[in-house]
Amino acid sequence: MTLDAPEIQVRPVEPPRPVKYLGPLVVGVVATGVLGWAGPVGPLWGALVGLVTFGVFVWIDLTRHWLDAVMLVAGGIVGLSFFDWVLAGRSGPVDFKLSLLAAVGWLVYGAATGVVVYRNRPGFKPTVILFQALAWAGGATLALFTATTMGVLAPLNARQISAGEIQSLTIGLFVFTGMAACAVGLGANISFATGLVSIFAVGFVVVLTVLAYNEIDFSTSAIATQLTRIGEIADDFWPPVWKWPRSLGQPETFNIVEPFIETLQIAIIGATIGNLLAVPLAFWASRMTAPSETAYRFAKAFLNVVRTIPDLVWGVLFATAVGFGNPFAGALAMIMFSLAIQAKLLSETVDAIDIGPLEAARAAGARHTQVIEYAAFPQVRPNYVAYALYIFELNIRASVVIGFVGAGGIGRLLNERRNFFQWDQVMAIVLVIFVAVLLIEWLSIWARRKLV
Amino acid sequence: MGLIDFTNTSVTYPGGLTALRDVTLSIGEGEFVVIVGLSGAGKSTMLRAINGLVPVSGSVLVDGREVVGASSSEIRAIRSDVGMIFQTFNLVNRSRVINNALMGRLSRISRWRSFFALWPSEDKEIALESLERVDIVEKAYVRASDLSGGQQQRVGIARALAQEPKIILADEPVASLDPVTSHMVMRDLQRINRELGITTLINLHFLDLARQYGKRLIGLNDGKVVFDGDISEVDDDVFRGIYGRAITPDDLLDES
Amino acid sequence: MTVPDLTPDEQMEQLRPKEPVGPRVVRWVVTIAIIVPLIWAVIGLEISPARIWRAPSEVWALLSGMFPPDFSDSGRIVAKLLESIYIAWIGTMIGAVFSFPLSFMAATNVAPRWLAIPIRGLLSAIRAFPELILAVILIVPFGLGPFTGALAIGIHSIGTLGKLSSEVIEGVDEGPIEAIGASGGTLALQMRYGIVPQAMPTIVAYWLYRFEINIRASAVLGLVGAGGIGAEIVARLSFRAEWPKAGAALIATIVVVLLVDAASSSIRRRIITGQPSTSLVSKGMIALTGAGRAPSTELES
Repeated sequence: MTLDAPEIQVRPVEPPRPVKYLGPLVVGVVATGVLGWAGPVGPLWGALVGLVTFGVFVWIDLTRHWLDAVMLVAGGIVGLSFFDWVLAGRSGPVDFKLSLLAAVGWLVYGAATGVVVYRNRPGFKPTVILFQALAWAGGATLALFTATTMGVLAPLNARQISAGEIQSLTIGLFVFTGMAACAVGLGANISFATGLVSIFAVGFVVVLTVLAYNEIDFSTSAIATQLTRIGEIADDFWPPVWKWPRSLGQPETFNIVEPFIETLQIAIIGATIGNLLAVPLAFWASRMTAPSETAYRFAKAFLNVVRTIPDLVWGVLFATAVGFGNPFAGALAMIMFSLAIQAKLLSETVDAIDIGPLEAARAAGARHTQVIEYAAFPQVRPNYVAYALYIFELNIRASVVIGFVGAGGIGRLLNERRNFFQWDQVMAIVLVIFVAVLLIEWLSIWARRKLV
Repeated sequence: MGLIDFTNTSVTYPGGLTALRDVTLSIGEGEFVVIVGLSGAGKSTMLRAINGLVPVSGSVLVDGREVVGASSSEIRAIRSDVGMIFQTFNLVNRSRVINNALMGRLSRISRWRSFFALWPSEDKEIALESLERVDIVEKAYVRASDLSGGQQQRVGIARALAQEPKIILADEPVASLDPVTSHMVMRDLQRINRELGITTLINLHFLDLARQYGKRLIGLNDGKVVFDGDISEVDDDVFRGIYGRAITPDDLLDES
Repeated sequence: MTVPDLTPDEQMEQLRPKEPVGPRVVRWVVTIAIIVPLIWAVIGLEISPARIWRAPSEVWALLSGMFPPDFSDSGRIVAKLLESIYIAWIGTMIGAVFSFPLSFMAATNVAPRWLAIPIRGLLSAIRAFPELILAVILIVPFGLGPFTGALAIGIHSIGTLGKLSSEVIEGVDEGPIEAIGASGGTLALQMRYGIVPQAMPTIVAYWLYRFEINIRASAVLGLVGAGGIGAEIVARLSFRAEWPKAGAALIATIVVVLLVDAASSSIRRRIITGQPSTSLVSKGMIALTGAGRAPSTELES
């Protein structure tokens, strides 16, 4: 008996780790920024950015070919000259249409980078180039538009203006836009080149966070300051005042229960009718039970649109239509709100039902509505009930605030008191709301446990 | 002209698959027919061509009414006279047995009555009688999912019977059942055919059952009818001809 | 056991079971429980049939006034939409970052009961404040503007994400954690290598889902002056002449929310099903066409 020599085992190639590629991403972004700050703008900057990108591509082992370097440099020159030309000498804010136009330059450059990746990574369709071009241009547009509406460039501007060097925002815009475009675009390039989506995600998340942070003037120092002042602030709100005169001069005191009842009533109408109307819509919106392809498409489209509108916007719309300060508007808004959620949840459940009973009902000669009522709905009934209870809870929470837009209920009262700056009264109302929401939540948890 | 007439009937699915090719045959009233063939030979398709559940071309006459090109109300009228029994029973699990049986009456009551579940007493009576006929009425108010496989299939048969049909189509009715229950169900179907005179077509893939219970045998291979004759003419060679291969123990229910 | 004077049919009928009365009663009780409060509510709100009758034409008047939409002020719309997105983004980030440690502290399989219970209570308390109310309160110290909006959304998100994440952590398979503990790993190691890999995909999916919801929330915060496109829509609706502009803002909002929803659900689906990242192209395609959405988790609050 001889022992065979063990088979040569081939070790699989270790899949690339994302961390390895963050380095090139960061270097590329920083280099672009530094070039924009310290160096020239326009065509020369474009050429240098192209070279930086080529360097990054070499680093990640994408390419070493001179043709790719030429394409990147050429793309940079053309694209960023266009960018420069659009923004040249502007001293005022750049509006949306202008940012779109300026970003076309980045689109050209991004396409060049996309072509390089496409050339060196077989297996992609040419649409890949479009996506990379869009990534570069998208980052640029976002940054451009954001930069012009916020103050982050002000210090730069002030410094250079005081140095008497430049009158416009152009340099700052270049740097800022360049870095953002680079982070997103380069992230896309590296992701396509290595197959690691996380690189793009990192670039995108960082840029979005930086832009967002600045645009909304997020200020951790403000938080810190206010936290130290918390005693003073609390004084405004505390102690809460439960009764106050209905109107100036009147001896009658105010009752907080009434508007709360109103809120409850709005929620009941919204939940009940919304849940009811959602049933046919949900069955239309499911491939299994839709009466026809057009009905299905219409129902799905309608649902998608209706679902995007937040509850308060419904409130505003209906308040405008049927009158402000009117709880009827609130009820209508809550109906639409409930309808959208229940129909969506229910239709997804219906998508998963067993088709067998439906076939049996059809084979017995039942009409379409009979098939749904007897074969489809019984399968989803427990889910429907669970969703309905959940939606009732959501309705109470939403009705509470819907008064804010003049649709009745306790929200209206809150808004009114707030407009009079009566913070201690506001506090009372807020506490009532707080307790009510907690109660509703416990109640619904208890109810759901009982029924399951 | 029989009760069911196929004339140059073909079925081609939207994906391009032709499941039935140019079938011409006739089935008379009160007949008890078993259909055999390999999986994919077209057995299920042939049954569903009769009640229009698949796209049919050519001509299929059911009691003189044409299935091909029928409008939705015409098709519903045809279906109300044709009861169907399924391999997977296709009961509504959450509903009670009586409600499943009542589904057979859906084609006979008005929209509004069915919407509010206001069943006339005659319909309830017919449903209960159907359940009695298959000996399961004592479970009338039990949830369908609480029954065994054999019991569920009996409810399926009751649902078909509740239609007071002229024809019963059974698509592999015993494939999911154990041998003892399978024989019980086959005997039930035989009895219904004999006592009520309902034309019965049954798909089977167990050849011993086919030989034991069938009166007329139709053999399908690749969408074509390759055998159509009395059960007395059938032997193992015939089966081999239909299947295109030798018979294996898997093709028999009682393997001993 | 046959009774001689019964016909065979009557004998058969004797075997038939009686219809149970329970389900019938339940059906009636439920119907009443639904109809009575509805009637009470309708009467209480003084909704007359006349009002209901008038409603469709009033709604139609609004719709026809809003369309065709007027996109002339698109720069402002885009700026405000971006602001809403940014508010939602920062808010979700705050929520994600702070809820992460809190969720571990609230998970009964990680934290001791004396810590978990109060933390859960804290999270519940935070969650009970609707974002709008939080925003109203926060305006007092922090003033009007998108910053306040982001804070309000952030704090509320800490509450919801904290609860959801702690439930995910509690639902994790104990096996790997035990194994690490048995081989001498500290609690930190157990968390890092036992819990985190199992829980992360679902938790990140919840973050994305929260972002979808927060976009809608930030759109409405404008109503209290906390930034975002809500204020635009309301302002334009105040004047009939401006209604087409309101329509434009509304449509733009709907489009953006749809895009965010589609992108978020396709990413969530990828994360949950654990597919290795394939081509970004197909991902982009899926996001653009909105095909193959991930099922919505039931918690939309």
